[in-house]
Amino acid sequence: MMQATATPAVSIRGVTLRYPGAEETALADVSLDVVPGEKLGILGPNGGGKSTLVKLVLGLLAPDAGSVRIFGASPREARREGIVGYVPQRVEAELGFPLSGRDVVTMAAGLRLGWWQRAGSVVKDRVDGALLTVNAMGFSEQPVGTLSGGQFQRIMIARAIVTQPKVLVLDEPTVGIDVAGQKQFAELIERLSRELGMTLLVVSHDLRTIASGCDRVACLSRTLHSHGAPEGLTPRVLAEVFRHDMASIFGDVHVDAHAAAGCSDPSHGHDHGQADAAPVQLRIEKKSAEDQR
Amino acid sequence: MMTLRTWEYLSGPSAWLFWPAIVTGVVVAGMCAWLSVIVVLKRLAFIGQGVSHAAFGGVGVAAMLGLFASTTATTSVSMGQFAVIAGFCLASALLIGKLSEKSGERATTDHADTAIGVILVGSMALGAVLLHVAQTRRMAAGVSWESVLFGQLLAVTWTDAAIAAGVTAVVSVALVVWRRPLMLTLFDRPVAEALGVRVKVMNLVLLALLAVATVSAMKLAGVVLATAMLTLPGAAALRWSRRMSAVMMLALVIGVMCVLGGVVLSFELDWPPGPAIVLVMVTVYFGARGTGARR
Repeated sequence: MMQATATPAVSIRGVTLRYPGAEETALADVSLDVVPGEKLGILGPNGGGKSTLVKLVLGLLAPDAGSVRIFGASPREARREGIVGYVPQRVEAELGFPLSGRDVVTMAAGLRLGWWQRAGSVVKDRVDGALLTVNAMGFSEQPVGTLSGGQFQRIMIARAIVTQPKVLVLDEPTVGIDVAGQKQFAELIERLSRELGMTLLVVSHDLRTIASGCDRVACLSRTLHSHGAPEGLTPRVLAEVFRHDMASIFGDVHVDAHAAAGCSDPSHGHDHGQADAAPVQLRIEKKSAEDQR
Repeated sequence: MMTLRTWEYLSGPSAWLFWPAIVTGVVVAGMCAWLSVIVVLKRLAFIGQGVSHAAFGGVGVAAMLGLFASTTATTSVSMGQFAVIAGFCLASALLIGKLSEKSGERATTDHADTAIGVILVGSMALGAVLLHVAQTRRMAAGVSWESVLFGQLLAVTWTDAAIAAGVTAVVSVALVVWRRPLMLTLFDRPVAEALGVRVKVMNLVLLALLAVATVSAMKLAGVVLATAMLTLPGAAALRWSRRMSAVMMLALVIGVMCVLGGVVLSFELDWPPGPAIVLVMVTVYFGARGTGARR
């Protein structure tokens, strides 16, 4: 497991947050350090506090207790300085807009220009660079509404990296992506980490997404249950985090209870790193491989 | 000869009566056309409807303040009318926003629908009551129900034209200055927020622009038909192009041409100009539906 350096990329210390009017805390005493260049997966059920944690890292929410620092700065400062990039779930963008993928990336690249300035060749070069990195040049001129789930996701990643952030937060990145797209996604985040040295936070309820590309996994269900290598995700840990109803929590993944019961030893080898592989000793089936638009 | 009457009106001795209306029509049509693209893309047509009907309440308030007491308005009175009605529209737009957000963490269509419905009927009722009271007190000689509801383009003065041009200039500058953060907020609010855009400010800017544009459009087409100018040019343009810059230019051309077409129709056939403009816009929209690509 990686050791924390002097300045963690993301440092979350004793964070507690309760929404106004809510009976339960959304997050209770969560502490986590992410070292620069690390790929951390945050796995948890819907309503487990993943989105809250994302908002805290982005500085869109302030904790009731505890602190969040991004490379030593407050999330708000980090956001202002463009240290954090964000790839939201696809459903939140307006796909009916008459914009091409390139327009979407240019919008973010030119955001910090003065209103009197035109997006010139410097911005264009940066947009080209981001589109090349995510391998999206071939469809960058198409209207966003006509792109497949995987293609649109690459445009959104290009938009997030065009401002050259040090930390990239990806929220449910494989929702609506087919199996081939998920494989490409795993390769892409590996490349972002290796070539650009980015620190990646991948938030998902999908075990496969987390296990196929992350160095470390944090299991979150209001509190942090474990954070270690994906190999440490034993059925016992998962059952603890997700209680009894694992199949419904994982949504598009089916967990075989018999396999879970019989495989409590994490030391058995498995084919970690491939999108179709079972990251822990559970039998995982993708129910739908349809590429949703 | 069909075009003779238009030519006669615009070159004859009483041409000075019509030119303010035409200038106002063109500048307001251009401003509304740009905003109409946003209104259609963000499905704000019903909000526009709510805000434009709120103008009726604003007219009632202005009448009670004595701003419609005379049939001829001085420059300061015209500006006062605009300020009161625009202020009322803006307050209504903000109230719609507030009521919509109040129901939960995020506004849903249902909540917004209810809020708009309430503000729309409330403003209309308030306007009707206040106008009635103003009329019984003989304070409303300068306004008629018909002109408020369906517009009175040919009663537009050079002062009105100057106000419309000023508003159009302000709206255009705002759209140019805030084009990047505004467009990002409209396209993907969570990301805009994450990139440091003050999305609440952007929403307020949009509501304010819609409110002043609505009041300007009201002069041409009345509260009932003002929404047409804030919807139809954008809706038609989006059928013909999938590039934002082209859509904006197309909407501008459609808006201006429809206003001119409506004015010509009203001259030639002696139709009321506001409804004539709206009918031309509706025709162009259906033409675009028939010939353009499906969105």
